[in-house]
Amino acid sequence: MNPSEVKTLIIDSLSPDSDSKAISARLELEGVSFDFDSGIRDSVLDRIFPVALKVKGEIEFIRNMNFAFRSIAISGVAAIILLLISIFLMEGSFSVDSFLGLRDNYDESIVCLLTGK
Amino acid sequence: MVTESYRNLSEKELIKASIEGDRNAFGAIMDSYRKMVARTVKGMLGDSASAEDIGQEVFIRLFYSLSDFRGDSKLSTYIQKIAVNLTLNELKRRKRVFSMFSQKADDEINALEIPGLDSGERKDTIEIVNKALMALNPDFRIVVTMRMLQGYSTKETAEILDLPVGTVLSRLYRAQEQLRIILKNLQ
Repeated sequence: MNPSEVKTLIIDSLSPDSDSKAISARLELEGVSFDFDSGIRDSVLDRIFPVALKVKGEIEFIRNMNFAFRSIAISGVAAIILLLISIFLMEGSFSVDSFLGLRDNYDESIVCLLTGK
Repeated sequence: MVTESYRNLSEKELIKASIEGDRNAFGAIMDSYRKMVARTVKGMLGDSASAEDIGQEVFIRLFYSLSDFRGDSKLSTYIQKIAVNLTLNELKRRKRVFSMFSQKADDEINALEIPGLDSGERKDTIEIVNKALMALNPDFRIVVTMRMLQGYSTKETAEILDLPVGTVLSRLYRAQEQLRIILKNLQ
């Protein structure tokens, strides 16, 4: 394609009724093509993904911490409850019999409760 | 390079995988749109180191905004908008720097001031296209780039540039008039 043809093509590409797709394809065929350096792909990916992996690692760490905290908290609460029960049982202020209602019940009082006399 | 499995994935799948941190998936998106972005950025800024930097920035911005991409428009349109915005910002920055050293504004640049436009010199196709583009006012250069290099219709150009179709048509007409003068000086 000689320079005058190229110039005509450039001018024609701007007309509202021109086939811009065909013109751009023809220009590309004539060597009007643009591209970045071959290293751009790796440069971009290297800049993006170390950060992405770091963020992903941080999120994972926070999740693990949450899980660990929850496990420790539940175990702690369970241990405290067991400790309290054992102290009450050992001190005699709480017993299995009193828990089941078997202690300090007399026949008279039961009869009284049932008959109202 | 991208493996065959990534080539078979749809754009939506590639976006999803990229958001989840799949490096190769985003690499596949880059491979698909690299030349398209280069046409916009280098068409507007010329083949310079800053054009390479802007090209990188386009894809980095794209990655961080992928989760905001709802798919209302085509991914190519979304990428073009990022490329156009960053390129226009770079041109504004250049204009600021240029105005610090010269009284002339960027839109006063014309073909006569561009080096290498000696009459009678034979130019190859890319040289003619590059010099013609660089001689244009940036407002006209962007519509010419979209139309002539990307092959977009007036409507598509208007959508990417967020301009009314009438404005695009008027800029195309005025750019055509400017180019007639610029290209005449190239002979």
